[in-house]
Amino acid sequence: MEEEYEILESTVKDFNAKYVDNNSLKLENEAMGKEFVKMLADQGFFSMAGQGEDGKGADIKALSVVLENLAKSAPAVAVKTLMINSFSSVVNEKGIVDSVSNGSKSGTVTFSDLLVGKDQNGSLRVEGGRIKGEKEFVFGSDSDFVITLLDSGELVLIKSGFSAGKRHKKLGFRSIGFSSITVDSADFSIISKDGRKMLERMYEELSIPVAAIALGMSEGVSQKALDYAKVRTAFGHYLKDFQPLAFDIASLVAEMDILKRYFHDLLAATPSEKEALFLKHKALTLAKDISRTSLQIHGGYGYLEDFGIEKFYRDAMALSVLLHNEEKDMEKLAGLVFDARAGFV
Amino acid sequence: MDFELSDEAKEAIVKAKEFARKHFTEEVAERSDREEQFPTDIVAISKREKILDFSNPWKVLVTIEELVRRDPGLGISVTISAFGSEIFMLFGNDSQKEKYMNPVFAGQKTLGLGVTEPGGGSDVANIKTEAKQDGDSYILNGGKMFISNGQIADYFLVLARTSPPPSPEKKHRGLSVFVVDAKSPGFAVNKLHGKLGVRATNTAELIFNNVRVPKENLVGEEGKGFYYIMTFFNISRIYVAAQGLGIAHGALDRLVEYSKKYGEMSETGELKENLQLAIAEIATRVEAARNLTYKAASYLFKFTPNPVVTSMSKYYAADTAVFSTRRAMELMSLHGLTTDLERFFRDAKILDIWEGTTEVEKLIITRMMLKEEGA
Repeated sequence: MEEEYEILESTVKDFNAKYVDNNSLKLENEAMGKEFVKMLADQGFFSMAGQGEDGKGADIKALSVVLENLAKSAPAVAVKTLMINSFSSVVNEKGIVDSVSNGSKSGTVTFSDLLVGKDQNGSLRVEGGRIKGEKEFVFGSDSDFVITLLDSGELVLIKSGFSAGKRHKKLGFRSIGFSSITVDSADFSIISKDGRKMLERMYEELSIPVAAIALGMSEGVSQKALDYAKVRTAFGHYLKDFQPLAFDIASLVAEMDILKRYFHDLLAATPSEKEALFLKHKALTLAKDISRTSLQIHGGYGYLEDFGIEKFYRDAMALSVLLHNEEKDMEKLAGLVFDARAGFV
Repeated sequence: MDFELSDEAKEAIVKAKEFARKHFTEEVAERSDREEQFPTDIVAISKREKILDFSNPWKVLVTIEELVRRDPGLGISVTISAFGSEIFMLFGNDSQKEKYMNPVFAGQKTLGLGVTEPGGGSDVANIKTEAKQDGDSYILNGGKMFISNGQIADYFLVLARTSPPPSPEKKHRGLSVFVVDAKSPGFAVNKLHGKLGVRATNTAELIFNNVRVPKENLVGEEGKGFYYIMTFFNISRIYVAAQGLGIAHGALDRLVEYSKKYGEMSETGELKENLQLAIAEIATRVEAARNLTYKAASYLFKFTPNPVVTSMSKYYAADTAVFSTRRAMELMSLHGLTTDLERFFRDAKILDIWEGTTEVEKLIITRMMLKEEGA
């Protein structure tokens, strides 16, 4: 890893040790609080957008290093950081970007427009200069700004005039709002006329950062399992001395290590879309597998929130649903692997 | 070989389905889960309506499956009030059956079973709770962990050490089972909060601080407690397998419903094949798990229990529940996350753990198979 990223990694680790590690359950279950969000912003974690090579988009490498390390302790904090950066990467209004970057405001993007069918995520239309209607599955619905797709295909930034509905069930990332929103707003600006295409591009750019979060979660939860297996005894032996548990976790850690190397190789180069999808697909699957095994190693205690394991089990699944769609990605991936778009009977 | 359920069992399924439809509303299920609240009212109604007919174990089995299929937390809460009663049935004396078991079967009392300890988990023989004889009583000291019905049970069957093991290899000797009244002085309960799933069920830590238990509360013979508990697990694991069936079948129901409503269609007007294959895989695993579970039940209910098949059924049904909920969530995407499938996903994971972890079940399978071959 390049030196600047090593320094960044060290910064996040220090931040975790000071503010996250002893607070991670609260950060998962309750609203993060303005003070904590401000601390994240002060570290510069919210202002990695606009730092890409051409001054647009996010510095994916730096962002991914931050996300991986935040997710080791608190996946919800990593996801919040990703959402803010993703939002800022396409907003040109300096006042809004500044307010989001310094943590005084927040913004979200309705990727659900791509994750469920066109007719399943509500409807927003412009009528008499106002956007009116509802959006169904808005992750980050408690934000101050929202970027969303209109029925007409335009991608818009809504700056006010929307409210969150009743919260949906929350499998994971419970401190981040997730509900429908009702919109009646004249306070908006158009980001792109070809909104779906732009949203697709933003979704593609999530691949490496989402993989980074999944990898960080795998590292965090497997470390807890390794630590526990060294001190917990059953039948007069440490858990680490039982072949089934030891082999399971060793196999998954091997997979994680290989993926991590691949991840860092990709960060050092310019990953292709196919490589980024390979990584995301495998990293999300690993996070689900490794959190199940780690919970199993903890037995009944793993089932209780106090041990900080069950949240990884929930979050691993939530991540693979809220910011990812398996079928959509596999269709794309299969097309790239076959080097031709498949018809899929 | 007859794979048909009896008419009585089929009627029990219809009755359970109707009960769940009426009482397991999403509002109640969601609230019980969110607030970690035991559904006292629904359990009382289920007892009044005799949803569990203990005179016919097949009816109990299919009722568990059907209720859990509708909602795992509520379904388990309703069907767990007699947890441990088979120990009375098999090893208790007439007086104990009359005093403790019958009121539980009549729906008047609730039973709990205290085996697992904070440092014990799967290692049952290593429990630390002690029962020392003192005149006509035993004095219990120690603690139990992850005890279902912990806060609501009237009586507990408690495993405790009554004599030191003859050697470190024979820790399973010297353990005994006692009935402990929840009102006993020195007995305390701490409810456990923050479970991943089955949050409607009541789970607690039990504390015994010089709890005096009359000698007549010793169940069966002193020193045979480990054997009694293992015998019980060979029964209860079949009911846990039924819980797994219920959860897996519930996930399948929801995926099928989703597919009809939102499933993406191919050019030929059929569901896309990835979804079709996933449904087939879950349905096949549910059917395989059901066949294993019913086979294990068939042995047990004819009083010829087969621990190998029992452990296979528990292990496979639990794994199927976890597999099915995960696969359904992945395919249903945001629709899965925002419906009760989310709860099924969290609830399923406990089946890998309670009543013997999956690893323990696998070890039992192999050890018993090798033992049988050796014989």
